[in-house]
Amino acid sequence: MFNEKFTDERFNLTDEKAALAIDVLRQRLNRQLEASLEVCVRCGVCADSCHYYVSNPKPEHVPAYRAEQLRKVYRTLFDPVAGAAPGWVGAAELDQEMVEKLIMSAFGSCTMCGRCVINCPMGVDTRHIVRTARAMLTAIDMTPEGLKATVNVHLEEGNNMGVTEEDYVETVEWMEEELQAELGDPSCVIPFNKKNARIVYTFNPREIKYFPYLIQAAAKIFNAAGEDWTLSTESWDATNYGLFSGDDVAARQIASNLEKAVNHLGAETLVMAECGHGYRSQRWEAENWIGHRYPFKVMSFVELQAQYIKEGRLPLDPTRNQKRVTFHDPCNQARNGGIVDEPRYILRNTVMDFVEMEPHGVENYCCGGGGGMLSMTEFAGARKEAGKAKADQIAATGAEIVATSCHNCLDQLDEVKRHYKLKVKIQNLSELVANAIVWPTPPEVEIESPETDEEASQESK
Amino acid sequence: MDIIAITGIIAIVGLALGLLGIILKIKDIMNRPFKQDLARERGSVGRAVLFAFTLGMAPWEKESTRIHWIAYLRGIFFHIGIFMAFGVLLASPWLEALPSWLVWIGAAVTGFGAIFGFAGIFMRLAGPNERVLSLPDDYASVFLTSLFITLAFATLLRPALLPAFYVVTGIMGAYIPISKIRHCVYFFYSKFFFGKGFGHRGVIGQPKGKYAE
Repeated sequence: MFNEKFTDERFNLTDEKAALAIDVLRQRLNRQLEASLEVCVRCGVCADSCHYYVSNPKPEHVPAYRAEQLRKVYRTLFDPVAGAAPGWVGAAELDQEMVEKLIMSAFGSCTMCGRCVINCPMGVDTRHIVRTARAMLTAIDMTPEGLKATVNVHLEEGNNMGVTEEDYVETVEWMEEELQAELGDPSCVIPFNKKNARIVYTFNPREIKYFPYLIQAAAKIFNAAGEDWTLSTESWDATNYGLFSGDDVAARQIASNLEKAVNHLGAETLVMAECGHGYRSQRWEAENWIGHRYPFKVMSFVELQAQYIKEGRLPLDPTRNQKRVTFHDPCNQARNGGIVDEPRYILRNTVMDFVEMEPHGVENYCCGGGGGMLSMTEFAGARKEAGKAKADQIAATGAEIVATSCHNCLDQLDEVKRHYKLKVKIQNLSELVANAIVWPTPPEVEIESPETDEEASQESK
Repeated sequence: MDIIAITGIIAIVGLALGLLGIILKIKDIMNRPFKQDLARERGSVGRAVLFAFTLGMAPWEKESTRIHWIAYLRGIFFHIGIFMAFGVLLASPWLEALPSWLVWIGAAVTGFGAIFGFAGIFMRLAGPNERVLSLPDDYASVFLTSLFITLAFATLLRPALLPAFYVVTGIMGAYIPISKIRHCVYFFYSKFFFGKGFGHRGVIGQPKGKYAE
């Protein structure tokens, strides 16, 4: 049962496309992938580790079933028995039916969150298998439209939402003014292109377009910590949807744009905004895509905030966050990046009532918004359905606020909240931190503003 | 030549074919590129690999094995039975010289191993997910291996059954590299990569960090 939204001609498999997809599989077949393709014993204990299965328990949602679709193609090429008895070993040709199954399993019902990997007794890396299937499909132009467009816009416009430099700079400057007004402190600045600043900070374009107050929150934290930081106008988008499309060439291009910007500014650390896959891409995957080590360090804003608190650089008053808060671990930060203790440390210092959802940390359920799912509207229904596991987790905590540190999670949790009628507010971690900061009373400063003076004198007249 | 010698040759030839196939499989995977990880380490790879092969396999360590503890323990006892059956095979020329306590231990382990092996076929047929996932080769592999353990058990109690044990050993040996039983080779690779990948990122098998409660 193929999704009726894939009716475009580009989803028809030709002999040339089949050959190209097979070629991609052969090229990407390394030791890690071969081990994962060979070692599965189809025991099925991975089933309950998948949020799709937990939300809708059917065999097609078992991670092993998903991986099995690519294994069938692999066996046709490499299994010694496949030629004589394909049915015996589960081998199948890459035909139209198989391509449709691959689209539905690799793009349509897997967020590559890695929960099944952690839970597999054999160590099967289903993330790797699914990303390989996505790479094959992307090579033959069978990426779902929204995901394809997101990658293309990023390559063409420098960020995945096509934000112009003018809009970017204006939005940031507006937030700088708001911050100064909020704190009554004109010394709070958001610097652009500052050479040799210690830190270069990035944004998710969603922050520029829809959540500018998060720019303000980040700036408040940096200023409170007395950080030597800057933004870049050359490249600033933390996201990299090449991770999700499986397109290593695009992923490499996007990652290297950011690398160049950091190098041009001479910073020693690149700090990724609270964006799960952006962090994973730049911290863990990018150097492998590019083929060399960065001359600078990459870290998440979550790690940096925890570091500031540990070093006593942020004066915090947790009584400013009185409501009960739970934390959703973004898969790409926790399970796929090792950032588990940091957000908890931050919350213990910034809120009065922190409660864990169960399970949490490395074993946390994916919210359903990962893997580029939010960009693939073809699978929106399944995505919301798969969010049930998360909705149940949230409801059980009795929390009024769900904090997270990822924009895809933020958007998906917001949809989950509405879909499952949860009475919670979804917030970024940095919002809670910024809210808890006790800002020192600024020294009396005379603001020299000719316009204001002029206006004031006119008013007095 | 007597029946034991003939069937012994069948066993040796089958196992030799199996070994050859396994060597070819290892050669295949070693010829594949090894994906280097250039990202800076966050945790200890060594600790994580050790964890993956030891405590990481404990039934309480993963949510999946906590939920499916019956299936997991069935698999563990089945595999202990397989190892013991190979022990019986190695000791087979001297079966009658074995002390009776050792024979009884061997019989108990292989007996349970065989029961848990055949139970695996039943569980595949009974479970809706397992039924969809299972291939004919899965049933054949589990059946053949369970039969191998059963005959090890039977041979310990009735040494006259040794020829049958040898024949099944030969068939199973030859079947290993062309069936799912070859996961016994890839298991070591996948567990290593699992430990390496997650250890590099500081996700599993690490000591408490500075932000831990």
